[in-house]
Amino acid sequence: MLKMWRNNRAITPVLSNVLLIVIAVAGMSIATTATYIITGNLRETMGERFIAEDVWFTTGKIAVYLRNTGKTAIDVATLYVNNTAQSITSLHLEPLNHGWLNVTYTWTANTIYHIKIATSRGTQVADYYKSPT
Amino acid sequence: MRITISRQRSFSQDRRGLSNLIIVVLSLVIVVVIVSNVFLWSYQMNQLDWEKMQETLTISNIARITRSSWFVTQSEYKENKGNRTSGSYLDTQVVDSSYESFKESSPPRTLDINGTFTIDLANYSLASIQSVEIQLRYRVDDTGEKWFLKAYNWASRAYSDNGFNSTAGHTPASGWNNYAVNLTNQWRSYVRNDGKMFVKVQDQQPDSTRTVIDIDFLGVRAVVNGVLFTFQNKGSRTTHLVSIWVNNSTQHKRYSADAFVNSGETMSYQRVDVSLPNGQYAVKVITERGNTATYSGG
Repeated sequence: MLKMWRNNRAITPVLSNVLLIVIAVAGMSIATTATYIITGNLRETMGERFIAEDVWFTTGKIAVYLRNTGKTAIDVATLYVNNTAQSITSLHLEPLNHGWLNVTYTWTANTIYHIKIATSRGTQVADYYKSPT
Repeated sequence: MRITISRQRSFSQDRRGLSNLIIVVLSLVIVVVIVSNVFLWSYQMNQLDWEKMQETLTISNIARITRSSWFVTQSEYKENKGNRTSGSYLDTQVVDSSYESFKESSPPRTLDINGTFTIDLANYSLASIQSVEIQLRYRVDDTGEKWFLKAYNWASRAYSDNGFNSTAGHTPASGWNNYAVNLTNQWRSYVRNDGKMFVKVQDQQPDSTRTVIDIDFLGVRAVVNGVLFTFQNKGSRTTHLVSIWVNNSTQHKRYSADAFVNSGETMSYQRVDVSLPNGQYAVKVITERGNTATYSGG
């Protein structure tokens, strides 16, 4: 025992190897976590799909019925009418879920409107809709 | 052997070499994880889009439904007065040349039979039924007396025709006769919560003749206000229908759906909870993959 403590050259290689392993494992953990976070965000963005089932022009309002057809939940961030952002109440849709998105808007009869819906991750669905006469 | 041991020893002592190797391996693992993760997910989503593109659904026809199919008795009639002379209840299930015969009892010469009928509530819910009709196709050898249709009133616990559109009975002519009654808005008193009904056929009163009655058909059906959709899947993949929209100028109404149409098939889909508006309307059907089929009518 006394002999081993006096032998500094034997302890140094063991310590350095252990340190190296600890650093490697820690580095690997950090890298793996970062990888999952980065690819997770990318994957969620790629997995977003939704459609507008119906658009209904009612007095002073445009209602859009959305369905999440993708593989990840979506948060509707903005609705644009003719490229102008409208204020909306937030809508969160899990996969296969659906619901109304209402916008207060004074529309004109028999007019074509370009309606675009964007999610918080940037996925967009846009189309032209004609208001009723 | 000595050379190999010597190289292993020098390699293990070369810490810079070992750490470089670990870094390279770890980096490779991370790169593989990232690439495979992204590529696999991309592949899945591409497949989703590809399947959506291959889906081709059309609505080939839409028709209003005002009546359900006929519900007939599934057991022999109970003879309260009079007796069965030939045939069986099976002969009263369809309009054809076969029939079941009953003869009035010996004096006082009356006939009173009743059968059990069950409305299929799985397809025609109580909420969707507006009324109930009973129809009798019969022939008698004595046209001198009237015949009555009654049903068991579950509220008053007695057979009755109270609330029927016709309570005067039916005077037969020679040959086959059709006699139908409508239970109007009183139908709910005559239909139990499980859809069961007891229907009675009886003559007017005792008379001088022991009449023989041949019953070709006796059935009940529900009066509904529904829609029969005909979908055609021209695509190469099975389609799952999830929403039906019935729109007109004043309303956009959505109904949840859960129906599958196989590839290349045409399917009739009946809904008694969906009603078509008067005038012009548009029907849209949404699939789970996000495609839409439309139909305009009115």
